[in-house]
Amino acid sequence: MKSKTKSPNGGGEKRLEAVTTPDMLRMLVENVRDYAIILLDPKGNVTSWSPTAERLKGWRAEEIIGQHFSKFYPPEDNVSHKTATELAVAEKEGRFEDEGWRVRKDGTRFWANVVLTALRDKEGKLVGFGKVTRDLSERRAAEEKIRKQSQEIFEMAAVPVVQVWEGILLVPLIGTLDSQRTQHLMERLLQRVTETSSPVALLDITGVPTIDSQTAQHLIETVAAVRLLGADVVLTGVRPTIAQTLVHLGIDLSNVFTRSSLTAGVRMALEILNLKVGPKS
Amino acid sequence: MNPVLPGEIAIKSESDIVAARRTVRDAAMQVGFGMTDVTRIVTAASELARNVFKYAGEGAMTWRQLEEPGRMGIELRFIDHGPGIADVQLALQEGYSTGAGLGLGLPGAKRLMDELDIQTASGQGTTITLKKWRMI
Amino acid sequence: MNNESISVIKVRDILMVTMPSDPDDSTISSLQNKVLTAMERTDAKGVILDISTVETLDSFFARTVSETAQMVALMGGRTIVAGMRPAVAVTATQIGLTLKNIETSLNVERALDAATAERPRDPR
Repeated sequence: MKSKTKSPNGGGEKRLEAVTTPDMLRMLVENVRDYAIILLDPKGNVTSWSPTAERLKGWRAEEIIGQHFSKFYPPEDNVSHKTATELAVAEKEGRFEDEGWRVRKDGTRFWANVVLTALRDKEGKLVGFGKVTRDLSERRAAEEKIRKQSQEIFEMAAVPVVQVWEGILLVPLIGTLDSQRTQHLMERLLQRVTETSSPVALLDITGVPTIDSQTAQHLIETVAAVRLLGADVVLTGVRPTIAQTLVHLGIDLSNVFTRSSLTAGVRMALEILNLKVGPKS
Repeated sequence: MNPVLPGEIAIKSESDIVAARRTVRDAAMQVGFGMTDVTRIVTAASELARNVFKYAGEGAMTWRQLEEPGRMGIELRFIDHGPGIADVQLALQEGYSTGAGLGLGLPGAKRLMDELDIQTASGQGTTITLKKWRMI
Repeated sequence: MNNESISVIKVRDILMVTMPSDPDDSTISSLQNKVLTAMERTDAKGVILDISTVETLDSFFARTVSETAQMVALMGGRTIVAGMRPAVAVTATQIGLTLKNIETSLNVERALDAATAERPRDPR
C-alpha cells in the first residue's frame, strides 16, 4: 500500500506515477532482451526507436526516425502492399501479427515475429502503432534441424536398403508404392549402391500388393538410373497377379532382370558377380 | 541459416554458363534443397543458360528465394531479347530442337522443375521462369 | 580461362580420361578430339571416362559423351563411363539421358578390371 503522507508536496499518488511509470516503461523498452519495441505514426513512419531496436536492426535512432517501416522488409516482398495491409488490419482489429524475414541495416536477414498494436487516444482516434519485433532465427534453425532429422528417420524406415552380401544390396519393399516413396527409394538406393560399391541390387516387391502404371514407370526409371552408376537391378518377387497387371498395362520390362522369388534373384545376383555357392567338399 | 539474397547475372559468354551453374548451386543449397534436387535445379539452369547464349547471343538470369506457408523454393528467370520461340508447344516436345542439341534442353528443364512459364513471341525475345519447391 | 582441363593418360591398353568437375562448353567439346587423337596415337583398346567429380550432366555434355563413345567404337574401342554420382544419375534419367549402348562402372578400378578382362561382363 502506498502512503500519501510520503509524498513531499502533497500531490500524492498521481505525481508518483507521473514520474515513475514512464521512466520504468522507458527502462523496460530499452532493456528488454530479444525484443525490439518501437512506435510508428498512423502512416507507418518511425516516431520512437530504442537501443534494443538498434541492436537488432542496426539503425541508430537519428538514422531511422521519420522513415517508413517498409525499410525493414526484404526487397522481393511486395512491400508497399504488405505494409499497407498490416497497418489496415492492425487499425481494424487492434492487432496484427506476422512471422517472416526482415532485413537489418546491413542487408542481412533474420526470421522475425512481429506484432503491431494500434494505439488510440481517449477519443478513440488512432495516434499510431506500437511495433514489437522478436528475432526468432535461432528457434527457426532449431526447428528446421529437427524437421530434417525426423524426415530422414521416416525415409529410412520407409525404404530399408540392406547389404546382404559383399556387392549385393537388398531392398525389401512392403506396402503401397506412391510416387513420393518411389522417389525416395530411388535416391536412397543410388546412394547406397555408390557408398558400398555394390554391382547388384535386389529389389524385392513380394510385399507390394498392387502396381499401377505410374509406379511401374518409376521402377523402370530406378533401374535405368542404377545402370548409369554401373550396377544392375534384379526385380524379385514378381507374383502372378503383378506379372498379369504389368502385361495388361503394356509395361515393357524386357530390359529389366526379373525373377519370381527372392531366392532366384539371389542366385542371379551371384551369377552377375561371378560367384558360386556350393556345399563344402 | 541465412536466406538467399536475390540477384542477377549477365549471360553473354560461354563462361557465364558455368557462372550461372555455380550461382544456382550455391543458392539452391542455401534454400536447403537436398543434393538430388540441387542437381536437378543446376541442370535445368545449365540448359536454359546455354539456350540464352546459343539462340539469343546474350541475356540474363535472375534468382530469388520463394517463401510460402509450408514450403520454400527458388525461382530462376532467364531473360533475352533474341529471336523468340515461334512455337512454344513444339519447343516443349521432346526431341525437338532448332539447334544441334538432343532437343532435351527445354523439355528437360520442365521435367526437372515444378513450374515452368514461357513468355515469348517471334522477334520479341523470351522470358522463361522456373520454380522448384520443397516442403518445410 | 578455364584452368580445369581434361586429362588423358594411358594405363596398359586403356586410355584413362578424367573430366573436371564443372567444365565449360569448350572443354566438353575438346573431349572428342583429345580422345580420338589419343586412340590413334596410342593404339588403345578402350577408354575409361572418369566422371566421378562431375556435378552436372546436362544434355550437351551427355550428347558429347555419347558421340565420343560411338566414334571410339568405330575405331574399334570400348568406352566405359565410370563413377557417375547418384544425384547426376537420377537427373539424367529424369530427362531421358540413358546413355544407350554405353558401358558403365561404379568406379575406375572396376572399369579397369572390366576393360582388361578377356570379354565384357556377361550375366549369362
